[in-house]
Amino acid sequence: MTSAKKLFTSARILILVAALLLSALAIHPSFDKEGVAIRGVVKNSSAAIAGIESPDANVQPMNREVVKSINNILINSVADYSDATKNLEVGQQLILRTDRKVYVLEVKPLYKTTVLNQTQLVNKTIYNETLNATVNVTVEEPVVEHEVIGVEDVGLTVYPKPVNNIRRGLDLEGGTRVLLEPQEEVDDQTLDLVISNIKQRLNVYGVSDIIVRPTKDFAGNTYIAVEIAGVNKDEVRELLAKQGKFEAKIGTDSVFLGGDDIAYVCRSPSCSGIDPQRGCGQISNEEWACGFSFTITLSPQAAGRQAAATSVLDVLVDESGEGYLSENLTLYLDDQVVDELRIASELKGSATTQIRITGSGAGITVRDAEIDAIANMKKLQTVLITGSLPVKLDIVKTDAVSPVLGQTFIKNVMLIGLLAMLAVIVVVFARYRSIKVALPMVITMVSEVIILLGIASLIGWRLDLAAIAGIIIAVGTGVDDQIVIADETMSSRRKEQLGWKERMSRAFFIIMAAYFATVVAMLPLWFAGAGLLKGFALTTILGVSIGVFITRPAYAKIVEYFLKD
Amino acid sequence: MQGERKNVRRTDRIKRKHQPILPIKKTPSKEVEERRQGNIRAARRGGFYDKHYKKLLIIPFIILLAAIATITAHYATTGDFINRGVSLKGGLLITVPTETVGADELGKALNTVFTDHDIETRSLEDQGRQIAITISADLATEDEQQVERFIKAIEQATETDRNDYSIETIGSSLGASFFAQTSKALFIAFIFMGLVVYLYFGTHFKVKVAAAVATVVAAAMMYSSSSTLNVIALLIGAGLIYTYIRYSIPSVAVILAAFSDIVVTLAVVDLLGIKISTAGIAAFLMLIGYSVDTDILLSTRMIKRKEGSLYDRLISAIKTGLTMNFTTMAAVLIALFFSESQVISEIMTVLFIGLLADMVNTWLQNAGILRWYLEKKEKEEGSA
Repeated sequence: MTSAKKLFTSARILILVAALLLSALAIHPSFDKEGVAIRGVVKNSSAAIAGIESPDANVQPMNREVVKSINNILINSVADYSDATKNLEVGQQLILRTDRKVYVLEVKPLYKTTVLNQTQLVNKTIYNETLNATVNVTVEEPVVEHEVIGVEDVGLTVYPKPVNNIRRGLDLEGGTRVLLEPQEEVDDQTLDLVISNIKQRLNVYGVSDIIVRPTKDFAGNTYIAVEIAGVNKDEVRELLAKQGKFEAKIGTDSVFLGGDDIAYVCRSPSCSGIDPQRGCGQISNEEWACGFSFTITLSPQAAGRQAAATSVLDVLVDESGEGYLSENLTLYLDDQVVDELRIASELKGSATTQIRITGSGAGITVRDAEIDAIANMKKLQTVLITGSLPVKLDIVKTDAVSPVLGQTFIKNVMLIGLLAMLAVIVVVFARYRSIKVALPMVITMVSEVIILLGIASLIGWRLDLAAIAGIIIAVGTGVDDQIVIADETMSSRRKEQLGWKERMSRAFFIIMAAYFATVVAMLPLWFAGAGLLKGFALTTILGVSIGVFITRPAYAKIVEYFLKD
Repeated sequence: MQGERKNVRRTDRIKRKHQPILPIKKTPSKEVEERRQGNIRAARRGGFYDKHYKKLLIIPFIILLAAIATITAHYATTGDFINRGVSLKGGLLITVPTETVGADELGKALNTVFTDHDIETRSLEDQGRQIAITISADLATEDEQQVERFIKAIEQATETDRNDYSIETIGSSLGASFFAQTSKALFIAFIFMGLVVYLYFGTHFKVKVAAAVATVVAAAMMYSSSSTLNVIALLIGAGLIYTYIRYSIPSVAVILAAFSDIVVTLAVVDLLGIKISTAGIAAFLMLIGYSVDTDILLSTRMIKRKEGSLYDRLISAIKTGLTMNFTTMAAVLIALFFSESQVISEIMTVLFIGLLADMVNTWLQNAGILRWYLEKKEKEEGSA
């Protein structure tokens, strides 16, 4: 077997090639720029009724549905889209072609809804969770008046079609800037509390790329400016403007609140998700409902309050002979009932800390109902973990805001990246006078960047400035390590005393020591929690790990092939 | 077969090319002679360094002390360790409705007039079209003249009327606790680095276990919000440093070098009056990564390698290490030269200063400390 063949069949090279191929697949670059991608679909909007599904937030950018044309007019930018959906008339039909399907949307009127100060009795078919069946009931409801005041938006939020799966962060892509105003006057301390609560809430919800800062206008009014990337307006409203006051009551006694009363909220799939006992069911022709549940652990104080509240209740027995207490545990979110739970009679007066929280979601298809239920669950979990905001906030305005780093930034970074690699090669060549040492270095540098971007695409990591700094460090450390490999293997004196394997193991001794020192230095920054530190640390750790475990061994093999006698 | 022959020729070619610098194969007698000559030369060259390395060691410490003095003075006069840019300090946020002027364009125009200020411009969009530009600048509202001049400049550049502007003051984009958090994280990072170096290069198994436990405990205490526990963590940190001074000088050297890199760079940045934004913070963190590589290389070559004299080993480390430094430096300079973005320029300026500091701290400070320590150890072993 020739040594070239040996080189290309060596495990290290094969691993590198496989990693590169998988990364290319994950990044999924494309040259098709036509269309606008769907970020979200507003509930009950004409788009939702026409059957356009709201994409899950975790869907890869390239797997998003792309609007190609509306009424046969090609859509190539967000501006084209807004032109095509402007000045519509009620009842007008839109033929919306995406890369998957053709939808027919019917434009709906926009109502102004006024709740009148009188009530009426209505016969309704509702879904009873305990019986798991639909029942007919008569309920008293306030009279609501609908007045047509215009045309409702078709209900899609779109953004320029992505050309690869690499997600960009706030400072590279821009996002939404939301200005919030506290409903009452707050001091600086409360403001700090609100800001940290908002950050924590968004983090728990899964949005980590955020900037929250206090703002004042010249009249002295205080606002909070929040910038978020890749979140649609509904989610912003749900998460930021709601106070998120959670309260669990038994009768009129408050048993526990969100925040301090909750020791732990389980969010892993084993104890949270669509409730396996209740599952999903069809309520009526057009509506499905799904139940969710998750477990929480109460603080001892809250458990004590629960014991005191249940100890005075009577025990009742239901049809199937199971005992339960005379009052239910009722969960309120922002003073609205989320769910009512029957309390089993064994729990009377006991200070139990494990509680199962349940609730539900609805939608026009099973999938919609499932998504809604999971979204409600996430919201509830977020509130339970973070507690409520000290004040209510109003959304003053929301704007789409361009990235801090400007439009030409990425092009500039790529140009500099290429030139910097060239510069490194020149220095390496000047030192070793061998293209056989320098060339493999280029290959490893480029591979490292590609694999890092591949992993970032795969895990949905948002690339921002901190991440770019991390990539630079990873590649820089990579070059350092390769110089160590080159020096340890090429030094004449050692070469004669030591075998190739020993020389390599000496090189890798240094590389591994530097690797561990870097990783342990980055871990505390990762755990520090703040966005910038975390992003930098994660990319650096990821980058140097790829270097040490994938590209460095391959580089060593290539150098061995070129230089071994 | 063909391939193999080709291969041989190729290696031949490198050998010829390389002979003056890296003799790959030579006859043994020539080799021995060469080495003998080399040792003599090394001894002659090393003479100066060997005699004076302790004096050379003073240089980095003077620099470090001067840096600490500079930062203290800066803190005393401005009330802050660094000159914060608008993203870290906050300032004015002016929203200018305009559809015609681009944000990048306006930013450049303002930056050329107000060179002393940190200005960020971004566009606000509605339905995919620009409707306004937001300008944030590190201006104080109290400085009415300055604000007036600034607004006038915007009016001229965009041909808009100030009555349409909305003007707000905006706070820092990193929370108030960011710097406290970062310092804590850096403290933990340093003691962890020291531990890894000790585990790698040190002796005394029981002390190693104790140091590992103490490090983890200190880290956990540092993360707690209780200030008492934080102080205890600092005390444990001091204990660890003392332990490393006794058992693991290389750990001390690595921690000191990383610390000096950051402090010296900070002082130079302060002296030059450079404003630091979030990007600059990232650059400071990058310094740790670069600092570690050369330090570990140096420690390994000086402690673990046995061939040649201490001076020879130092020279071999410097040869490899300077190649590392020069590749990084070349990349940084290229980036500085071709940067069209303030953010890149800021990162690269900090890195450039940091790398210069790192060269001094690695090759004079760290090398000197290790040299001293190893010499002492050799003497002790010799006398024992």
